[in-house]
Amino acid sequence: MAMLTAKDFATATPSWWCPGCGDYGVLSALKSALAELGKQPHEVAFVSGIGCSGKISGYLHSYAFHGVHGRALPVATAVKLANRDLTVIAAGGDGDGYAIGAGHFVHAVRRNPDITYIVMDNQTYGLTKGQASPTSATGYVASVSPEGNPDNPINGLALGLAAGATFVARGFSAQPKQLVQIIRAAIEHRGCSIVEVMSPCVTYNKINTYAWFKEHIEDAALRDDHRPSERTAAFDALTREGKIPLGIIYQEERPTLEERTHLPQVPIAKHDLHGDRGRYAALLEHYR
Amino acid sequence: MILNSLEMMFGGQAGDGSLTTGDLIAGVFKRMGLEVYTYKDFPSRIRGGHTNYVIRASEQRNYGMADAVDSLVAFDLEAVQAHIDEMRPGGFVVFDNTSETVDGALRRSDVTWYDIPLAKIAKEELGLELVRNTISLGVLAALVGMDAGIVRADVTAVYQRKGEKVVDLNLRAIAAGEAYVREHYAGVPSGYALRAKPDGDRLIMMGNDAIAYGALVAGCRFMAGYPITPATDILEWMSKQLPKFGGVVVQAEDELAAITMTLGAAFTGVRAMTATSGPGQALMTEAIGLAGVLEIPVVVVECARTGPSTGMPTKTEQSNLNHLIYSGHGEIPRVILAPGTIEESFTLTTAAFNLADRWQLPVFVLTEQALCQSKATLAPFDLDAVEIDRGELIADGELTFGEYKRFAFTADGVSPRAIPGVYGGMHLAAGSEHNDAGVITENAANRARMMEKRMGKLEAMRDELPRAILHGVADADIAIVGYGANTGPIREAVDRLAAEKIPVRFLQLRTLWPFPEDDVRVFVHGAHHVFVVENNFTGQLERLIRAVTGPIDALRGLRKYDGRPFHPIEIIAPIRGIAAVGESVEVR
Repeated sequence: MAMLTAKDFATATPSWWCPGCGDYGVLSALKSALAELGKQPHEVAFVSGIGCSGKISGYLHSYAFHGVHGRALPVATAVKLANRDLTVIAAGGDGDGYAIGAGHFVHAVRRNPDITYIVMDNQTYGLTKGQASPTSATGYVASVSPEGNPDNPINGLALGLAAGATFVARGFSAQPKQLVQIIRAAIEHRGCSIVEVMSPCVTYNKINTYAWFKEHIEDAALRDDHRPSERTAAFDALTREGKIPLGIIYQEERPTLEERTHLPQVPIAKHDLHGDRGRYAALLEHYR
Repeated sequence: MILNSLEMMFGGQAGDGSLTTGDLIAGVFKRMGLEVYTYKDFPSRIRGGHTNYVIRASEQRNYGMADAVDSLVAFDLEAVQAHIDEMRPGGFVVFDNTSETVDGALRRSDVTWYDIPLAKIAKEELGLELVRNTISLGVLAALVGMDAGIVRADVTAVYQRKGEKVVDLNLRAIAAGEAYVREHYAGVPSGYALRAKPDGDRLIMMGNDAIAYGALVAGCRFMAGYPITPATDILEWMSKQLPKFGGVVVQAEDELAAITMTLGAAFTGVRAMTATSGPGQALMTEAIGLAGVLEIPVVVVECARTGPSTGMPTKTEQSNLNHLIYSGHGEIPRVILAPGTIEESFTLTTAAFNLADRWQLPVFVLTEQALCQSKATLAPFDLDAVEIDRGELIADGELTFGEYKRFAFTADGVSPRAIPGVYGGMHLAAGSEHNDAGVITENAANRARMMEKRMGKLEAMRDELPRAILHGVADADIAIVGYGANTGPIREAVDRLAAEKIPVRFLQLRTLWPFPEDDVRVFVHGAHHVFVVENNFTGQLERLIRAVTGPIDALRGLRKYDGRPFHPIEIIAPIRGIAAVGESVEVR
């Protein structure tokens, strides 16, 4: 099949995102990464939850699953188990992934299926009009926290790393070139890759704006002490005070869920279901 | 002397081995050619707490417990206290009197007592108190004539894994039990005798095994589940077998993950299922709605136990029917099948997968603890009768790029389904309302049409649903409606009433949703008395029937909600009562 371009992964569906939303950058980088990797739309299964981030599945021309809030990862894990030939990508927001989906996040990561999970982090609940999210700063003033958000923000990447993530990276939706590279590397990574993308909400989050990020980010790869193969160093990079590190923070090779469950090489979805009668009958011997 | 008819109960503390011994005896009875039914009544704890195991053996097929037990093997005083009243006069008790005694009113004089210090013999003669269960096996063998060769062969088979020493120890335990009876109770007959017959080509299997086996044979190759009583057996069974058949089982982090994983696998084209019980089913509600709107074929087994909340985890109930029918916000089509026997646990599970694929919707297999954790003897399943109908599944190469509409409007509401990997089938499966191409839209006309498409399946599929079964005297004045685990006790009640010249007909519902309105309307029509037998407080089935029949005096609920299944007499007695007060009972 002919080499495709980013446009081949675009749907004609008009976007429901606000003009200027960071999510456009994520979608665009995702399409470019898939095209650059030579993927075909029918070989890609894309899963999202709901919220602003969840809408992304409607704008990507592939097999797409727009499910329920926070549950993209179990769906994506099962899609991969059902057909290991597919490129499986899940996407969600900070609320979707770190609030309602936090349990699934930790468990998907520890299972290490060969899927990519993109967290579009705008540090607020956009679609319900700007409440604090798990990544909103303490003190963040919003409709449900008029006195300021009392909670400490979650560090999603550190949480993922603690749960045993084999690929942890962060991008910024306004730095498309780097984001494409990160998403490419994540898709190519054999195992569960987490990509957190700082994706500003231009309507509700008046603090973490594009300008704010430009001041607060740094490219991790440019630091002398950046060693993506060392877990302790990665923790340090993710948790130290100061600038927000971008790039591939941590990466290791570990057996995937497909390998550990001894999944057959031929995708389960393609198995013939008719041929095992003799073996079925043999199982009944146990009950005689 | 009662020949080849015995209901035996083992009672003791959980962890004492009553369940293992009960299973062993059930196997022995089966191999002696008897028809066997077992019922487990155990507490929701690992060690300690009263537990019992009932084994019924007789010449004719049993689908449930008898009215009373003939023999009680009591490993402690608590077992006597709990069950002495359930004993049939003329029965017998084997009581372990190592450290406790039975006296006063508890020591019923209308049963024969065998006081045997089982634990003491185990400890002093065999050096291990644990083998007292096996000693009791020897005692029973001597008292009722269990086939010695079969007993020894089965004990050997069960303990083989643990080595020759353990086998030998247990064989000696049997001999010790037999010897004790010979020495101390030579002239005290139990009143019961079992005679071996040819076993024939039969199986002995638990309901949950039959469901799991049915799923495998139906082509299920993905299961995700979260351990919960009494459904866990299915997850365990599948974990052992599915990988051998190229499939995979995931122990999910919770029920929300279990069901959404099942959806993910089914979306990708694999026959997939999950199994749970009430509390887990409650958590799965959200994703059931998603399955409905995405038109994904999934099979969900619900092994019902008592509710609400955590209820009594190891006890039976039929109180989740309303939940399965109505759960979820918004409206989706769904199917609920309810097996009444272990054979049907197999056949209806295979049917569930075909219905799910054929109509692209969630199908529930609703069973209850009393059925799914009971064992019975049965004929081997007819594997040749199992068909696999994947419905309208598009194969690779059948689509032209750019023309596919996943949710295309069709006459029967079923849209040909492309699974990920099929060229040209790319689409959005959107949980939000969408158009025929899968694009999310709030368009009013589309919304109405989509609702009609999805919900219309329930009417279109009616002819393909498992029909209700009519048992008993077809035109009897007295009628019973029921389903699931109650099928057994009701059938027995109907047979015994027939022997008393009280004709009764019984409609066993096997599809509970879409509700079989026509079958029920026809069945109820003309009956003077319609008993709706169910294990719940509010009469969930009775209300469904009333919705079909309108106001009707003939209907009355016969309900039990103490966590235990019906004994036949509990159905027989009220019907006898009606016959006795002179109300007309006639066959027309």
